[in-house]
Amino acid sequence: MKFQLKRLYFQIILFFTANLGAVGLKTGFCYPFFYCQACPAATSACPIRALENSVYKQSFEWRFLLYPLLIIGFFGITTGRAICGWACPIGVLQRGTGRVARKVKRHPIAQRLGAHSVEKYLRYTKYFMLIVFVFLTSLLIGFIFTDICPVGMLVGTFPILILNPGKFVPNYFFPVALVIFVLFITLIFIIERGWCRYFCPVGAMLGPFNKISMLHIEVHTKECLHCNVCSDICPMGIDVPNMHRDPECILCGKCVSSCPTKQITFEKV
Amino acid sequence: MKRSFVLQIAAVIVVSGAFVGILTTADVYEDVKARIVEVLCLSCIKLEPKTIQEFTFKTVDDAPHPYFVTENLTKGPVFLHYSEDVCAGCEVMFPIVKQLFNIEFGKQDMFSKTVTFDHGNITYIYVNLDHTIDILENSFPMYDKDDIGGLPMFTIITLGYDHGTVRPYFTTLYGTLNVPTDAERSSLLREVLTESIEMYQQNKAGYQPT
Repeated sequence: MKFQLKRLYFQIILFFTANLGAVGLKTGFCYPFFYCQACPAATSACPIRALENSVYKQSFEWRFLLYPLLIIGFFGITTGRAICGWACPIGVLQRGTGRVARKVKRHPIAQRLGAHSVEKYLRYTKYFMLIVFVFLTSLLIGFIFTDICPVGMLVGTFPILILNPGKFVPNYFFPVALVIFVLFITLIFIIERGWCRYFCPVGAMLGPFNKISMLHIEVHTKECLHCNVCSDICPMGIDVPNMHRDPECILCGKCVSSCPTKQITFEKV
Repeated sequence: MKRSFVLQIAAVIVVSGAFVGILTTADVYEDVKARIVEVLCLSCIKLEPKTIQEFTFKTVDDAPHPYFVTENLTKGPVFLHYSEDVCAGCEVMFPIVKQLFNIEFGKQDMFSKTVTFDHGNITYIYVNLDHTIDILENSFPMYDKDDIGGLPMFTIITLGYDHGTVRPYFTTLYGTLNVPTDAERSSLLREVLTESIEMYQQNKAGYQPT
């Protein structure tokens, strides 16, 4: 079976596992990826919500801080950011929109923007989101991220509205969240894995673990032809031949499958 | 290579050990389940339940009214205010309710008081689901008549006449009551309370707590 097909099956199985709440399984765990507990079928809590709870208006609750961090830390140390590429339901969604995004990528304007030096700095936005919109605003003002989260809108708000027709009306956060949701959808259609690259705060937590994770992707640079097939196919837009434990790598394995000389491999330890 | 492997294994052991430790000692699993997964923060889902002021005799799954409700109904209507620590909607409603009944207490307190309202008595019971006892917590799903499962939630229980008997009769309001201003929220609560006191006065003679 082709490797990417195996990954797709794995993603589908994990998508259903994340939604076992539909058959009544509600747990007290946090997801190690971005998914909203407001989804009627969710089994677990969003790690971002637990982190927000931990510092909400200076009410420091160390348990809610440590708990999601330990879950993410465990998966981070063992598999790095593979969670994003193999388990995250929003990753599956972006895999679906990736085909369109790849077409957009070939447009000259997109190529010019993609090659712009600012692009690599834009990737730090997710760390900014994590620190400012998850921690600082929760600490000083209250929920901001949760109130406008596009993923919450997609998997929580809309399904609730559909499953309970006439029971709810939009509140004052809804218009703002809707605008952000439209931007989110636009983003993932024009930039492959745009959410993971620039905005996902869970990706920001998992990314640095790539530096020390047991599982990682290794490029054997000495034998590399620098044909750039790998970079072209990489959904995260990484310069693969020059990559070494890149925090952006989601270990999807597309570069591994595509390398004509098989110089890119999954490595354990 | 060997050194990094040892460090990775050590890190996995430390993280796993800490995780097991926090699970077994800090009740965090139960708290995440009860406070985040099972109860919705209504403001976080960017939606407001449509508040339907209709009174009903029927609790969810026909559960019997708890003892603390039936007993307090001998004094007047009962107002149950459900809330939690981390919830934007709860923070909007908290001062409105305190002002309405002219009472003072902390957000994390367990609080109840019989207050005079519109020439009648109302037993006000504050239930912060993060800091409460089982009997109060268990009443939350019972009065969630519209199956919203979210906070804040307000239940007003009075007495009603039902096929020859006087029984507890209640309505539940949700969120920030689906009106835009604090004055309107206060006015809506006042209206429902006044109605519940009138019903109570009409039916109290026939009430037998069970």
